[in-house]
Amino acid sequence: MAGSSEKKEHYTSMCRMCDNRCGINVYVENGCIVEITGLKEHKWNHGRLCVKGRLGVDLVNAPDRILKPLKRVGSEWEEIDLDQAYDEIAERIKKVQATWGNRAMGVWKGEALGFLTQEQLSRRFIHAIGSPNYFSNDSQCFVSRWIGYALVTGDWATQDFINSDCAVIWGSNPPYSQPNLTQSILKGRKKGGKLIVIDVRLSAIARQADEFIQILPGTDGALALGFARQLIEDDTICHTFIEKYTLGYETYARYVKEFTPERVEKETGIPAAKVVQLARLIGACRPRVCIYAGNGLEHHENGINNIRAIACLDGLLGNLDEVGGNFTAEKPNLRNISLYEEKPLRHLGPIGADKFPVLYDFRQECHTMSVMDTILNETPYPLKGMILGGANPALTNPNTRKVIKALKSLDLFVVREIFMTETAELADYVLPGATYLEQSELHVHPIHQIIGLSPEIVTFPDCDNEYIFWKKLASRLGVEDYFPWENKDALNKWLLKDTEITVEKLFNHPEGYEYKPRRFHKYREKELPTPSGKFEFVSSYLKKYGYPYLPEYIPPTYMNEPDPDYPYILVTGARKVFYTHGRNRNFKRCRTAIPGPDIEIHPIDAEKLEVKTGDVVTVTSTVGSMDIPVKVVHSSNILPGVTQITHGWKESNVNLITHDDRNDPISGFPLMKSVEVKIERKAVNVNN
Amino acid sequence: MRFITMDVTKCVVCRNCEYACSFQQTGDFRREDSNIRVEYYDDVKICLPLTCMHCDDSWCLEICPASAITRNVKTGAIEINSERCAGCKMCILACPFGNIHFDKINMVSRKCNLCEGEPNCVSFCISGALQYTESKNSYQNNRQIFQRFIENL
Repeated sequence: MAGSSEKKEHYTSMCRMCDNRCGINVYVENGCIVEITGLKEHKWNHGRLCVKGRLGVDLVNAPDRILKPLKRVGSEWEEIDLDQAYDEIAERIKKVQATWGNRAMGVWKGEALGFLTQEQLSRRFIHAIGSPNYFSNDSQCFVSRWIGYALVTGDWATQDFINSDCAVIWGSNPPYSQPNLTQSILKGRKKGGKLIVIDVRLSAIARQADEFIQILPGTDGALALGFARQLIEDDTICHTFIEKYTLGYETYARYVKEFTPERVEKETGIPAAKVVQLARLIGACRPRVCIYAGNGLEHHENGINNIRAIACLDGLLGNLDEVGGNFTAEKPNLRNISLYEEKPLRHLGPIGADKFPVLYDFRQECHTMSVMDTILNETPYPLKGMILGGANPALTNPNTRKVIKALKSLDLFVVREIFMTETAELADYVLPGATYLEQSELHVHPIHQIIGLSPEIVTFPDCDNEYIFWKKLASRLGVEDYFPWENKDALNKWLLKDTEITVEKLFNHPEGYEYKPRRFHKYREKELPTPSGKFEFVSSYLKKYGYPYLPEYIPPTYMNEPDPDYPYILVTGARKVFYTHGRNRNFKRCRTAIPGPDIEIHPIDAEKLEVKTGDVVTVTSTVGSMDIPVKVVHSSNILPGVTQITHGWKESNVNLITHDDRNDPISGFPLMKSVEVKIERKAVNVNN
Repeated sequence: MRFITMDVTKCVVCRNCEYACSFQQTGDFRREDSNIRVEYYDDVKICLPLTCMHCDDSWCLEICPASAITRNVKTGAIEINSERCAGCKMCILACPFGNIHFDKINMVSRKCNLCEGEPNCVSFCISGALQYTESKNSYQNNRQIFQRFIENL
């Protein structure tokens, strides 16, 4: 680490071990990456890095990396030449197209391979070959929060925590999910700001909260509406903002009247007096209030409307686009390489767009849950070929059994990966992918309005980068005109062409190049990007589709129609410090620290079930069942009756029991965070 | 001289510091190998990172019968020379803060050596609880931290 770094070649880049993208120093010796440290001057992480970031060295040099193209021959893998792999894959795509039509092909973007351009390239390719079927992890993560906020404000703002007087972290655990965001949150608090954490579990960030509010899963909408009612009653609302810039306030104010503190207590489990106290704390800090909605709010049947209800608080508090509030960042004027204007293809029926039109309208995302049914039942039409890069749905999508069955039954399944994942094992071809250290890509940090460029630091002979992969395949399918750039550098230059930013400038600014100084209150000059141009407490757009006009609250099924056969509520997906979704389980040193999966159980429930830490239980939902060791947590960590299992463990895959077909009606997001389950102690094997 | 300061109002017990230190010592993520220790008290929600303060008047250094403990002139760190350490554990008994631990495999005492002036625990602290600051700033810093902490109890 320190000391001998002078002899090594030094590069600056950005980390992609999670989505935080911290500035990093990368040291190379004899052509090998030997060290990664935090980049002191970077505006996002200020030289600090989490241990996951250092694991980039393990990733790029991993002994179990896939470095040669593999072809399935019966039940075996055969190493083949890279050109032969491209030729064969192209031929088989042509066959799928000729037999079933262009739309029988799909692409699926994951997060393990690239930065910003990766997604755009996949979208470009699939439209270039005449299919609208672009899939990604986004149809079950991130996007429903984006939509929830965009329905209200036209965009999803980012949080100016450092200047905030009150930070509300709602259903998120930044120390594990976005590590270096923690710095900003706590800096704001050090300056006198208050920290409120609303979560089902006492997460790492909750340990420092001034107020930790332990809420029942999926009931967040009721709390948000209760806050709204109290803010209005106390008249701690921003009248100027409401009068000038919002739509539907009167209707909304009438609706929230139902959400008295007593009603909120009944719905959420939070004492009525606490609801009033919190609303007063938030109201007193306005407009310098940051509210961050986390992944915990998605994966519920009323997810979007709960998120809308939270987003509506910005309209009352007037903290939208405010210093120390929810800041609407301006974007750099990068060129777009997707083909939605040139070749929209919506008439071909992108999968899921009929059932979940909002998901498609807002994000042009096909629905990864519906696609499994489409593959298996050939309805509304056959989908026979899929090219997937850096995703692992066999572990991370709900209802694993169906996912495996569907992916196995494809005529052509191509996976590009760093490692032989549970999904790659199902493929016909596995091509070696390039990591983030092997490709040059642009990336934006909206909160600071900075843009950066990662360099290509090392390369491996058969690991083509994102651009070259699509370009080579396109040239074999007669659509090479869509990929005219010689390499990624040429593409980056083209993307930047309408800006005054150059590649050279970006390399000279490893701390992040400020593409535009931050400006606040932009809504005063320019209408918000919503249908009415205003902040929408009500949505005519949703009403048109038959969805609720207001951010209505519907209690989760486990409360509305409790099923005595499935008395426990299972939350899934809490993050662990080393692991990003399904990734990093193959690094031995991570296993030393966190060796395997467990189900978090309250001591009262442990007593009822007669289990202790380490005992194995069988957890069953209406979808299926799975075995997992118990971890009895401290009584403050989780509520009695509520349990948690982190996803991404092959040995106890929680998605064997999550629902793919119980969806939020607006976004189509699956039910993964308030799953009704029963838990039984597994019989002890007397022979053991 | 610079010290590692520990802010109990910022630590979230993510344990990145422990894993980074352990990695520096052994290449693995074993908390027992770390020279910095973070305690979390569930009942009162207190987060407490603790590592060597490299005391001016170092009892560990004074008591060591093997003269294995010295002060690094460049960084000011109190360091254990494991070649000389006899494994008698006197330093562990002498440290009033419990910041020295015993390596049972190599039978020597272990403690923080400030990583030659670039402490890994600080570089990997994502909350900002750990800072590597000049001593003249650090006592003020610590006073402020504890003042605030006590006010909020």
